[in-house]
Amino acid sequence: MRIYFLLIMIISMGSCKRDFDAPVPDTSWELFDAAPAGILPHGVMKKMEGVYTITKGTETFGPLAVLKWSYTKKGNDTIYNVSFFSETDIAYFICEAKKHDDYILVNGYWRKLSGTETGRVRLTISAASGADHLFSSNPNTAANDVIISGVYGSGENVPDIPLEFAYARPHYQAMPFEIIAHRGGGRNADLLPASENSVEMILLAASLGATGVEIDVRMTKDEVPILYHDESLNERLVQKNGMLGPIKNFTYQQLNATIKLKRGGKIPTLQEGLQTILYNTPLRYVWIDVKYDGPLDKVRALQEQFMQAAAAMGKPLEITIGIPDEDVYNNFLQLPGYQNIPSLVELEPEKATAANARIWAPMFTKGLQNDEVAAIQAQGRRAFVWTVDGANNVRKFMYEGKFNGILSNQPSIVAYYYYARL
Amino acid sequence: MRDFKYFFILLFALQSFVAFAQQSEKKKRGTYALVAYVGGGVGYYLTLAGVPAYLNPQVSKWSSLTSLRVMWQPDHLVRVGVETGKMQFLSYRFKDSVGNDGRIIVNAVPLLVEWSMAVSKRFQVFAGSGVYFLTTKMDYAGKSRSNKLSIGWMAAISYLHPLGKDLNLGTELKWMDAAETTDGSLGFQLQLVYRFLKW
Repeated sequence: MRIYFLLIMIISMGSCKRDFDAPVPDTSWELFDAAPAGILPHGVMKKMEGVYTITKGTETFGPLAVLKWSYTKKGNDTIYNVSFFSETDIAYFICEAKKHDDYILVNGYWRKLSGTETGRVRLTISAASGADHLFSSNPNTAANDVIISGVYGSGENVPDIPLEFAYARPHYQAMPFEIIAHRGGGRNADLLPASENSVEMILLAASLGATGVEIDVRMTKDEVPILYHDESLNERLVQKNGMLGPIKNFTYQQLNATIKLKRGGKIPTLQEGLQTILYNTPLRYVWIDVKYDGPLDKVRALQEQFMQAAAAMGKPLEITIGIPDEDVYNNFLQLPGYQNIPSLVELEPEKATAANARIWAPMFTKGLQNDEVAAIQAQGRRAFVWTVDGANNVRKFMYEGKFNGILSNQPSIVAYYYYARL
Repeated sequence: MRDFKYFFILLFALQSFVAFAQQSEKKKRGTYALVAYVGGGVGYYLTLAGVPAYLNPQVSKWSSLTSLRVMWQPDHLVRVGVETGKMQFLSYRFKDSVGNDGRIIVNAVPLLVEWSMAVSKRFQVFAGSGVYFLTTKMDYAGKSRSNKLSIGWMAAISYLHPLGKDLNLGTELKWMDAAETTDGSLGFQLQLVYRFLKW
């Protein structure tokens, strides 16, 4: 008895958990980083977009990939990203592309979102493989004969496994669709190289395939709207520092000075989040998910300010106030002229109609609801579904449903199914 | 979900207590007693503090520790009881990027169901689980206070030296762990142990 008792205590004290991570590999490539390599003109990237057949590397990435370009602005620098999305294990590539003499270099990393597999990738488009056409000043030149070839590797290993993409067809674009990335781009649990609901994550979202983001808003003690999902400070979201309990117990200055998010970065204000979306990304849609019970006037003021700023810039940007429950719904109805405020209602379709919401957004567990979706669309509204993850679910909602957008933790697979549809 | 967690802890404690009581009824009953342990000492915060280096923190890991424990001591090897007390996990002072001072203190009040067993005449081991009522006090750009309930556990070993028939002086080495917030302290206490009720 005594021995068992001591044994149980020792086992309990020695218990441990395994930590998983998927660190972005070092992508340095001497040739790519060399001085002569120049930035690729916008037009070239646009021409590269399309659906590609994977002719080498199918064992890892499957038969087909979608190529999409995006950008992020950091200070005076603009970084152009070339992303590939494939169906197999929800794989994606995030690369930069540069012009080098008469060919194009593509350098970056790949990741499988269904696990932690990652590695480097180095690709080239030679003049003979279509770079000539891409550089052509004729905007109508297509990428029909483009072949992107190179190597990929696993982890930090030097890439040496052949990989090749051959242009197959242009993107599907017939029906406009929003690909909305959850929590600014993805959750901490997905081991992305940025914290959920951070500025860094928002900067990553477009390269993951998103056309818009959902961000969670809470209020600090001094009523500053900030991006934070949970009610409390906890080690799922922030690095341990002794600050505990509800986030609303601390002022913004206190949080800003001391809190570091779990995967890096600080807790941004809603203003910083919207500023980043407007000025630093190509994102065109924002779902502000209101996570607190209280007046919405500050959120509304920022929504109005940034939609006006976007309009002044000529940039398409729609910002909706998300209404997830009855409390927020009632608070929304207190806003003057609420019927003219862009909003998204997660409650019954009748409430979306009563609030004159632009979007009705049911949870995916309620199924396709094609009749309800059609009815709401007949009123001139749109319908988004949340939060749809996994290839099978996304494919079902994309191809069998009638929704106008999907909110997902895995925007790359939504992008794949959207752009690759025939 | 949190409610379920506490419900299961309570259920487990009750079930164990009932099983123990049922087992007791089968034998000839000996002396039962309630024993109080009143202790005070020092604690050293042993888990990773996680205080951000960019704050240039001055971390204080030593703190005072007090505890009050009441154990039901039947005529069996295993005893059961409850423990509470007051302790500080850690505190630190820091400076922000413009040199303003700040301070953060993390205090805890445990409420634990404990089991104990005498491993020799004078040595006893203790283990228990329950909750820690944690409080963060922040003094930076104004004062803020925030509370959190964390599930947790403890383990201890104590040595008792008899001072009288029902009175002992003890020393105890104990580990107090608020598991949910990964805060843990190793404590050393002096104890006065008094058997205050027998039947």
